[in-house]
Amino acid sequence: MPDLLHRYGPDLLTGFGMTLFTWALGTLLGFALGFAIELLRRFGPKRLAWPIRAYVEFIRGTPFLVQLFVLYYGGPLIGLRLDALPAGVLGLTIYGSAYFTEILRAGFDAVPKGQIEAARAMGFTDGVIVRRIMVPVMMVSALPALVNFAIILTKETVILSMITVPEIMFQTQTMMSETFAFVEPILILALFFWGFVEVISRLGRRLERRFTHYLLERS
Amino acid sequence: MTTLSSSPAAASMRKVNKYYGTFHALRDVDLDIPPGKVTCLIGPSGSGKSTLLRCLNFLEDYDSGEVRIDDQLIGYETPGGRRMSARRLREMRRDIGMVFQQFNLWPHMTALQNVAEGLERVRGFSRPEAEVRAREALAKVGLADKEANHPSRLSGGQQQRVAIARAIAMQPRIMLFDEPTSALDPELVGEVLGVMKQLASEGMTMVVVTHEMGFAAHVADRVVFMERGEIVAVGSPREVFHDAADPRLQSFLQGYRERNSLEF
Amino acid sequence: MFSFQTIFDNLPVLIGAARYTLLISVLGCAQGLLVGAVVCAGALSRRVWLRRAAALYVSFFRGVPLLIQLLVAFYLLPVIGINVPALVAAVLTVGLCAAAYLSEVLRGALNAIPRGQAEAAAAIGMAPRDLWLRILLPQALKIGLPAIINELILLVKASSLVTVVGIVEITRMSQSIASATYRPLEIYLAAAFLYLAINLVIAQAGRLLERRLAY
Repeated sequence: MPDLLHRYGPDLLTGFGMTLFTWALGTLLGFALGFAIELLRRFGPKRLAWPIRAYVEFIRGTPFLVQLFVLYYGGPLIGLRLDALPAGVLGLTIYGSAYFTEILRAGFDAVPKGQIEAARAMGFTDGVIVRRIMVPVMMVSALPALVNFAIILTKETVILSMITVPEIMFQTQTMMSETFAFVEPILILALFFWGFVEVISRLGRRLERRFTHYLLERS
Repeated sequence: MTTLSSSPAAASMRKVNKYYGTFHALRDVDLDIPPGKVTCLIGPSGSGKSTLLRCLNFLEDYDSGEVRIDDQLIGYETPGGRRMSARRLREMRRDIGMVFQQFNLWPHMTALQNVAEGLERVRGFSRPEAEVRAREALAKVGLADKEANHPSRLSGGQQQRVAIARAIAMQPRIMLFDEPTSALDPELVGEVLGVMKQLASEGMTMVVVTHEMGFAAHVADRVVFMERGEIVAVGSPREVFHDAADPRLQSFLQGYRERNSLEF
Repeated sequence: MFSFQTIFDNLPVLIGAARYTLLISVLGCAQGLLVGAVVCAGALSRRVWLRRAAALYVSFFRGVPLLIQLLVAFYLLPVIGINVPALVAAVLTVGLCAAAYLSEVLRGALNAIPRGQAEAAAAIGMAPRDLWLRILLPQALKIGLPAIINELILLVKASSLVTVVGIVEITRMSQSIASATYRPLEIYLAAAFLYLAINLVIAQAGRLLERRLAY
């Protein structure tokens, strides 16, 4: 066991770094894309509504693994030739954007009409209403769901191993196939992830409290 | 103040105290519920009326004192002793009907099923027998034609009448009403009070927490006024509503008259 | 050139493999409901150690990616002397994982039932068994139905991961076809749309069921 750790420790660390990196980048880009899509759907031309809906339904209705296969193995046939890592991050981004969009939509829908009417009655322009009223109010109500989905994405990153992105799962499997040791690597992996998700969850809850504290203080 | 009856009480409370944390909800409450009569509990919000009522069937546990139904202690094996077994408590509750402010009908069952459920599961009647008795109870509250409706397809007043049918079908020895008309639109109050009046005329022992002063004045045999967890005045409606000297009771009634501009 | 012919030629085989996708997700969901009810009972228990155990269970199965759980079942169970067919291991693992989520669904649904429902039952002297079977569970299942349907759809998608333990469901089948035909784009897209179709049907059936159960 110590031998294994000595030999594979560096690889495992690299793998962990890669997991963190793909997760952080995929989450950020996915959120940005999701936000853009939601703004487009809400304030953009009506004829975009249907294609956006189809996009969201397709992504949410199909397994992430299959989406990755389409992108990584099918992409080259239409000239989209990506290495595993960029393909993985792009896959996470697309996957995340569909879910983030839905969360943001629910958040926007939950902004009380009266608050918008109050702003309109005071003569605010639509742009100001969106930036200064709707987005801040929406973000507060959507935050728990956003954090929750970011946590779900941590677990989806292991699926990148299936298209050979050298993240933690991939490194562990390499280690298993080279050493034929199964018990230790899998246990390390499981415990590691359990801890990782637990830490992210706690951070997320702290973030939520920070942004919603003014709502809680009332009661 | 007079006691109306010399026969043994249908229910009684002796030195009952109840705390929610540090809040003293019931203070040394002493009360006898006369059999075959209607006792109305009145008083401001938070005065402990509902808490008192819920102690009578031990939906609310009391911290000290004795609550007896037909002379049997409820909730504890001995005064201040161990809790009575869940089974024994269930047996006692079978004979105590309760009607809630929010009706608490089971939404996934029809009116008939709501009434028959207890007859079948608690009283142990066969399904057909339970349904016969449930239909009788529904007919009594004037809802024979609504037996197949789910609660969501009934008005508030109809729901509360089904809830009353559910309670009387069990043939309880005493009925507790916890603000039975407070959740109803004003125009639906009458039908529920009508059913309650009819029950009263049949000699049912009833304890009613209510804000309906008209009902208390005309139907109650005895009115109990509570404030801050204490029983301040007990007597006939006439004694409580017209002859009462207690300043707290007078100010409560004064406030009620001003809000409602009503004579009673 | 995008070849629709490839898709048409291979669709029947993919649909055949969907048997396993459905088998794993439906059995997994059923098992998840049963185990989830037990975990939920633990979470609502008065005993502290039961609540802790339930919380640990939920935290583990929600915290560790399903892919890793599958590897644990596939590689570690034989090490401790439990030899079960891959399909059984897959269904059990998916079910245990679903139980963690479904226990929370049930807990939320039970919490959503107004207190008065149980009080009304207590007031007529109903026993706990009848209270649960006749009053609380039927309402919890109805309140939780949309979330349960949602979990089933998640499981259909998650079942693609059992590929790693060698079960030839939709995804595994599409992999072999893709490598045999050198048509990955068409085949994987076909697989994706097959999943989409299954999930749309489940979602629609769920909506119909909800309407049927409305009172």
